[in-house]
Amino acid sequence: MGIEVKNLVKSFDKKAIIDDISFKVDDGKILSIIGFSGSGKSTVLKLISGLLEKDSGEIITTGGDIAMVFQYSALFDSLNVFDNISFALQERKDLRGKYTRKELEKIVAEKLELVGLSGIEDKFPSELSGGMQKRVSFARAIVTEPKIILYDEPTAGLDPISSTLIEDYIVRLKNETNAASIVVTHQMSTIRRTADSVLMLYNGHAVFEGSPDELCAQQTPYTKQFVNASLEGPMKMN
Amino acid sequence: MKIYYKATYTYKIFRMLQSEIVSFVSTLGNIALFGVELIKGLKTFPTTMKEVMAQSSRFGVSSLPITLSIVGMTSVIIAMQVAGEMVKQGAGNYVGMLVAILMVREEGVIMAGFAIISMIGSSLASEIATMKVTEQIDAIRVLKVNPVHYLFTPRVIAGTLMMPLVVIVASLFGILGGAVASNLASGLTYKAYFDSVWFGLNMHDLKVCILKALSFGFVISLISCSCGMEAKDGAKGVGIATTKAVVWSFVAIVILDLIFAAVFFY
Repeated sequence: MGIEVKNLVKSFDKKAIIDDISFKVDDGKILSIIGFSGSGKSTVLKLISGLLEKDSGEIITTGGDIAMVFQYSALFDSLNVFDNISFALQERKDLRGKYTRKELEKIVAEKLELVGLSGIEDKFPSELSGGMQKRVSFARAIVTEPKIILYDEPTAGLDPISSTLIEDYIVRLKNETNAASIVVTHQMSTIRRTADSVLMLYNGHAVFEGSPDELCAQQTPYTKQFVNASLEGPMKMN
Repeated sequence: MKIYYKATYTYKIFRMLQSEIVSFVSTLGNIALFGVELIKGLKTFPTTMKEVMAQSSRFGVSSLPITLSIVGMTSVIIAMQVAGEMVKQGAGNYVGMLVAILMVREEGVIMAGFAIISMIGSSLASEIATMKVTEQIDAIRVLKVNPVHYLFTPRVIAGTLMMPLVVIVASLFGILGGAVASNLASGLTYKAYFDSVWFGLNMHDLKVCILKALSFGFVISLISCSCGMEAKDGAKGVGIATTKAVVWSFVAIVILDLIFAAVFFY
């Protein structure tokens, strides 16, 4: 089943940021959540990952771990790549002591190979480019073999070629792990290259739900405005 | 019909005061909650030994030069000012005792506390605050690791255990500095000075000194970590958290000092 969200509501200071949103993502599928800055996209991810408490609604998952890739990678800058990736295996209460050093080295090497970065275990995050940091954060996210992967603007701040590479890895991770994935993004290229379905948010409401092709067909005023990046339309910038 | 009220200066001052009180109570509550969470996390102590050692080195070794300088200079200043007068009044045999009691009961521990807050407390707060605003703390949570246990426990254990060592070394250094200053300023012999030190010091003073140092170490590291954890809004938030950690730690150790003085020496 992956993940199902029903009638999700979240308010800050009595203002509804997420207002009655529902969607479903099956295993091995990718949902792109799009919308203006401040439309509540990242809040949805934080609610699913448990970083924020929902006011009401339901978040139903198949169980297993939920992993999250943060907008600016959020790698631990005092730890090297090896310790970053194996962090959960070394520090999580239920996993601590379960793996020997050799087993950890093997797991980390496998994950790094999966994101195309073999042999950088001893490097620190400050020694890596933005794109490499992002890929290391992918490796860290999948180390516990999660059933759900959340990506918060994974291509933000990257050049177009690095963005394409990151998009390819999102699809590759989906295929390798069969996890249900949610990608919050602003970029049409990310939607076209990765998404199986798209959800558009505006002022905390879902204003479009459909396939990337339907989004590009611009059949509603919302999709027309978003795809054309137009200032004219129903969505107003604050 | 909407009625608009003009915000008077009195109203604005009242709102500012209200906001400060809310912030004060909220910080106090958070420190208490983090303290409780930290105590729960003490069970993880053996597995974080490596980190405890790293943090101990930070507390003990990194802070020592500045702590010794401050405590040493304070004792030299005191000895320079009082030794001459005391020798003139025929009380030269009490200079060592005065400096030693001052160092062990008060100056050594409070000055070391100020030095540790400035060097280590501020660095702990800014480190954790930076982790907070760059979502590293969120990443720890998503990976199902308790950030209070992972970050606070080794730092607070290290701070609590290392503070007495720093205070003892600093107090000894202060007493030595007092001896040199008394000798240079008033010609007091080292023998007379140290005889007076042995005569004046007792085990009760040392026990209270160590107890006070333990509590200062605990409070400084807990407040610094807690204030760091409260940070928000980017670089500005890191600055605010660091300042808050320093101010709160200063106030907390002065209050603790007062309590110790009232309980043990009043």
